[in-house]
Amino acid sequence: MTLAATVTPRAPLPWLKLGAAAAALLAITPLVAVVLLAVFGRADAALSPALIGRYALNSALLAALVAVGAGTTGALAAWLVVMHRFPGRGLLAWALALPLAAPAFALAYAYADLFDVAGPVRTALRDLIGTDVPLNLRSLPGAAFVLSAAFYPYVYLTARAAFVSGSVCALEAARTLGSSPRQAFLRVALPMARPAIAAGVALAVMETLADYGAVNFLSVQTLTTGVVRAWSVFGSAASAARLSLLLLGAAAVLLLIERLGRKGRGYNATSARWRALPTLELTGWRAGLATLYCLLLLTLGLLLPAGWLAFKAMGAEPELPRLLGAAARSLGLGVTGAAVTVLLASLLAFGARGGRTFTRLASLGYATPGAVMAVGLLTPAGLLWSAVPGAVAGLGAGVALLVYAYAARLMAAALEPIDAGLARLSPSMTRAARTLGESEAGAARRVELPIARGALLTAGLLVLVDVLKELPGTLILRPFDFDTLAVLADNYASDERLAQAAWPALSIVLAALVPVIVLSRQIAVSRPGAPR
Amino acid sequence: MSALSVENARRAYGAKVAVDGASLRLEPGRIACLLGPSGCGKSTLLRLIAGLERLDGGVVRDGERVLSGPGVHLPPELRDVGFVFQDYALFPHLTVEANVAFGLKDLPGRERRARALAQLERVRLADRAGAYPQTLSGGEQQRVALARALAREPRAVLLDEPFSGLDGRLKAEVRDATLSALRGTGAAALIVTHDAEEALHMADDLALMQAGRILQTGSPRDCYLRPVSMDAARLLGEANAVHVEVSAGAARTAFGTVPAPGVPDGRAVLMARPEAFRLDPAGRPATVRSARFGGARTEVVLTAGDAQAHAHVPSRDAPQAGQTVSVTLDESLCTVFPA
Repeated sequence: MTLAATVTPRAPLPWLKLGAAAAALLAITPLVAVVLLAVFGRADAALSPALIGRYALNSALLAALVAVGAGTTGALAAWLVVMHRFPGRGLLAWALALPLAAPAFALAYAYADLFDVAGPVRTALRDLIGTDVPLNLRSLPGAAFVLSAAFYPYVYLTARAAFVSGSVCALEAARTLGSSPRQAFLRVALPMARPAIAAGVALAVMETLADYGAVNFLSVQTLTTGVVRAWSVFGSAASAARLSLLLLGAAAVLLLIERLGRKGRGYNATSARWRALPTLELTGWRAGLATLYCLLLLTLGLLLPAGWLAFKAMGAEPELPRLLGAAARSLGLGVTGAAVTVLLASLLAFGARGGRTFTRLASLGYATPGAVMAVGLLTPAGLLWSAVPGAVAGLGAGVALLVYAYAARLMAAALEPIDAGLARLSPSMTRAARTLGESEAGAARRVELPIARGALLTAGLLVLVDVLKELPGTLILRPFDFDTLAVLADNYASDERLAQAAWPALSIVLAALVPVIVLSRQIAVSRPGAPR
Repeated sequence: MSALSVENARRAYGAKVAVDGASLRLEPGRIACLLGPSGCGKSTLLRLIAGLERLDGGVVRDGERVLSGPGVHLPPELRDVGFVFQDYALFPHLTVEANVAFGLKDLPGRERRARALAQLERVRLADRAGAYPQTLSGGEQQRVALARALAREPRAVLLDEPFSGLDGRLKAEVRDATLSALRGTGAAALIVTHDAEEALHMADDLALMQAGRILQTGSPRDCYLRPVSMDAARLLGEANAVHVEVSAGAARTAFGTVPAPGVPDGRAVLMARPEAFRLDPAGRPATVRSARFGGARTEVVLTAGDAQAHAHVPSRDAPQAGQTVSVTLDESLCTVFPA
């Protein structure tokens, strides 16, 4: 059809298009600043090439280990949940995504303590077999284990969506062509889901590269810890920017993988008809094993670390004023960040319909680690702090900058559900509103926005969860003494006050759990063509 | 109420001209059908009338008032023209009743509700007022879309392939319901369709469209029996094209002779509907090449001399393949065009 070329309500208004351009520009500005800072910044010897090499090697190894760890465990869980029936499957289907509520550093605190020389696991093992088992979590493999446990849900969710969305017809075709269910999975479903799994792995690796709190606590020096150290220890923005360049390069590659994987989804949804997926009933030990596997994943990703932190927290009186203050700041930042990000993402979604350039630019921001984003904002931050006199105004400017950093980083994440929501809106709906006497603005208010409302809420929740968990960017950009829950946890943890650190860490988990449950259940029930 | 008219409308997308100088007139209280093959520009013409697209040339007028024209474009919400979309475009976030009441926002609540319910009553869906569109069947959704378009009592209502999403039996049912709902309003109606039978069945006035142009307008009967060209004839059903020689106002073929008033002597083309061929002992001989049973009628391929034609004959006395039969031509189902 020739709809795209018509003067219809679908063609964005000029000011909407301008808004989209502005939003994309906002997302890309810090990245440009990083590049400029790296190229033109004053050379200094804060970090030797050998050191940078070690950071890069650690990051690469960690990324590779997490890719394998989170990739296999997440994809296997998705396959079990989508294609089989076993006890607890309905609950586990959405519960498996819950570890997204726990920041990786919370897991690191819990596991480092559990597997400490004097910790419960190794003490028990020593009593049992007489010698110490050197299960040191403060190592690269240890960090890989922790991050895999934290990030497998990214793979689980994308792989599950791929298995669920389109393979029904193809699977049935494979069955009629003589394949057993298992063969159909291996020969049809898995190859079809491979791009999606790659996309999920890319997301998990992005998070791995962006992580600061967990690896720093586990004493693994990565590029991201290097960025934070270069700034906070050596005070060298140029060095931080140079390290950031490496991370940006990696992010661009990962983004490419993720986008290509997403493209692959196109050939999935061939049939819009809703049908029950042909699932395989597991019985006996197989069923038990499936349930056990999924439970184990959930336990390692959330229940065990959160439980251990709760146990530790019980042993300490929380410093309530600090904790409550940090909680208020975290929630305030989260809600403000969500509102601003969703607004910008909506501009992008409504204004960039038809054109993909702006959204591509914004997604570059999403692949960028928070620490890098913060480094890009250091120059404007410095200008702001010197230009705005007075503590209160300075605080406001600093908070605004933080919100900007969150929005620049998370715009693409918010864009996704909004775009999906707008897909429900056929162009003729807007035209129908016009022929029923509504102006263009009226059609947007009475038809487009109400239909997209659920999607906007989803986008807001996604941003809220990510802001609550964000650490390195906040560490770099926050105004002096402006502690969020994550910063507070990091402060306690670096002083080895783990019981105290458990309080803010658990607060984040609790605050993030509600939106994550809402989101996860939402994804679990939505299938293309499914009756709403 | 005044008539809506389209004069010499033109609309192009880059190099592709979708509507190429089309003219049309919609009379209040009458149902017009716009028939044409897929991609002939008929949906574009509909959107031009509704103001959903801008004209590149020509005028859309309401009486003397220009709605679209050079430098003028009244936005769709101010045209008082209802539209039923091919995909119905019901609002998924609103109930059936709220969908129908959508365009009545200027009325006070009580009156709005009464009007919406009255419209739903008219399409016999009052009992589904509280339901959401997704829970309705295709036929029900179509009726809601119609009720929604009619609720504002527009001067004209445009329907874009309104029955294309429905299957056989349901289609006939919904078609009749639509007709009676449209007849109940004084609005001018324009139905776009690619289904000749549908157009002939529903239209008071018929317009035939091809490649962006209106080929012919008139009553369905006139268009069927007196096509202006071979193309126009083919739009309304099967048509044989037989090469003939015309002399002295008569076209002679191996199947018989038909009058060709006003056609100059020489080569010409005879358009003959398949049902123009009658089995008649007084006729001329023709050979049956093949015969295919099709229920009430049988489709046969006849040859006579070097001419060949498809004919429909009643199955009761249908010939067998290979037989020689004698046929006459019904003049009223034939037209001769100059070559």
